[in-house]
Amino acid sequence: MKLAQALFVLRRVLRSLRELVWTHLLTSGTMAMTLFIFGGFLLIQENLQGLLRGWGSRIQIFAYLENGLSPADLQSLAAEVRAYPEVESVRFVSKTEAWESFKKTLGTQSGVLEGLPPDILPSSLEIALQRAHRQRASVAGIAQRLRGIKGVGEVEYPDEWIEKLSLLVLGVQWAKWILGGFLFLATMLIVGSTVKLAILARKDEIEIMQLVGAPAGLIKAPFIVEGMVQGIVGASLALGVLWLLYLLARYHLPASLAILPSGDQLQFLDAAAASLLVFLGWLLGAGGSWFSLRRFLKTW
Amino acid sequence: MEKFARNEPALWMIQLFRVSKIYPPNYPALTDIHLHIEKGEFVFVSGPSGAGKTTLLRLLFREEEATEGQIIVNGRNITRLNGARVARLRQAIGLVFQEFKLLPSMSALENVALAAEVVGMSRTESRRRAFHLLRELGLKDKHDARPPTLSGGEQQRVAIARALVNDPILVLADEPTGNLDAEMAEETMRLFLKIHEKGTTIIIATHDSGLLRRFQHRVVLLQRGRLMADSKTAGRSMVSKVEP
Repeated sequence: MKLAQALFVLRRVLRSLRELVWTHLLTSGTMAMTLFIFGGFLLIQENLQGLLRGWGSRIQIFAYLENGLSPADLQSLAAEVRAYPEVESVRFVSKTEAWESFKKTLGTQSGVLEGLPPDILPSSLEIALQRAHRQRASVAGIAQRLRGIKGVGEVEYPDEWIEKLSLLVLGVQWAKWILGGFLFLATMLIVGSTVKLAILARKDEIEIMQLVGAPAGLIKAPFIVEGMVQGIVGASLALGVLWLLYLLARYHLPASLAILPSGDQLQFLDAAAASLLVFLGWLLGAGGSWFSLRRFLKTW
Repeated sequence: MEKFARNEPALWMIQLFRVSKIYPPNYPALTDIHLHIEKGEFVFVSGPSGAGKTTLLRLLFREEEATEGQIIVNGRNITRLNGARVARLRQAIGLVFQEFKLLPSMSALENVALAAEVVGMSRTESRRRAFHLLRELGLKDKHDARPPTLSGGEQQRVAIARALVNDPILVLADEPTGNLDAEMAEETMRLFLKIHEKGTTIIIATHDSGLLRRFQHRVVLLQRGRLMADSKTAGRSMVSKVEP
């Protein structure tokens, strides 16, 4: 395409955007809704993954020790566990320390413990694992080995929580692609219909352009560029609304939802995810226009 | 554009070899047409409604594809062409229609310049050429006017200016005076003659037998899709037999 023709396309696009501003905004709005839902899933997924990462760093195995172990036994037991290649650190928690910690956790309700002997809780080893071994399978394997050590009673780790959260992240990830995929197709059809309307509105102009020898590319290009602009505007709108919701959540997230990270730990979409959203908008607009043009423009 | 517009040494602008066009399911619009038109000729294609005049023109600018036969324009076979070649063919042909086919939302100048812009001419050059053509065709003060505000004759002159803006080798006009009163029709015909004087081949489809009598040029007579007579071979006397 010559420079003069490219400028011609640009002028036609600008003219159409000016003259059919509401039609274009309506299409952009439709795309924005789809991209908002997709972006929302991306945002949830990203934050859940962040949550999982945060929890992962705090994953510990609690090995409760049997009563009656001598200090020497305790030292050798801790050394044995520390020697495991997967283990990052081992901390011994005495019965007294466990009692104090429990009381502190109960806070004002610690009165319920009155009358109980302070050595009722077992001493334990808090075992932190290296980052590479924080997956469920690794944790379960190490716990199993710990159970086989003489002097170790119960072994606990936050198995269910990790598994449920991992499943939730996986669910969000799939929902994003499946639901997003359906919405993408539906929106593409809507975009296609809008382009069809635009083609019908400019039927005479297209016919005349064909009659005076305009190359097919020159006739199609403005519609495709308009679709791209609509898509990018739609994606920007979606990102804007997501950003507002993000700010709302960040500053007004109820403290009672202690399971979630605190407000300032919430994250917005990173550059890659935001770019993906804009790219999808671009693709949605260009693809919708292209399909529609293929179906409705007369070919020789 | 160069492909169709280049100056072929051949004598013929148009050659039709046993061309037929059958519309589905089985309506023969043209049957076995054999016709040669020289470069620089001025030809009327005449005949009653439904004779096949418009179909013949539509085959020449490849709005329709011939069912049978071969069509050569300026030495190039256009019988089977892909989209890009059809566009190039049309860039070398000026088209004028009875219903003008102007865009009402654009000014006269923009309507003319559009045809130049789509072939890659810069906006400035397109508008300059459009302006000169409109002035030449007597529309000096009307270049900013939109078609609905112009008279039929003025609109047809804008359409003719558009047909000429890319210096066509051939002008095809389908009933160009059909929507005009006698005076405007006469004026429009004189414009075609002026264009013809510069060496452009002109083919005009018309059922107006008055025009054929007033303007002494070759007449090709079609009837029910068949070529019934050609003044080039039958002589001008056949023109008097054309039904008004």
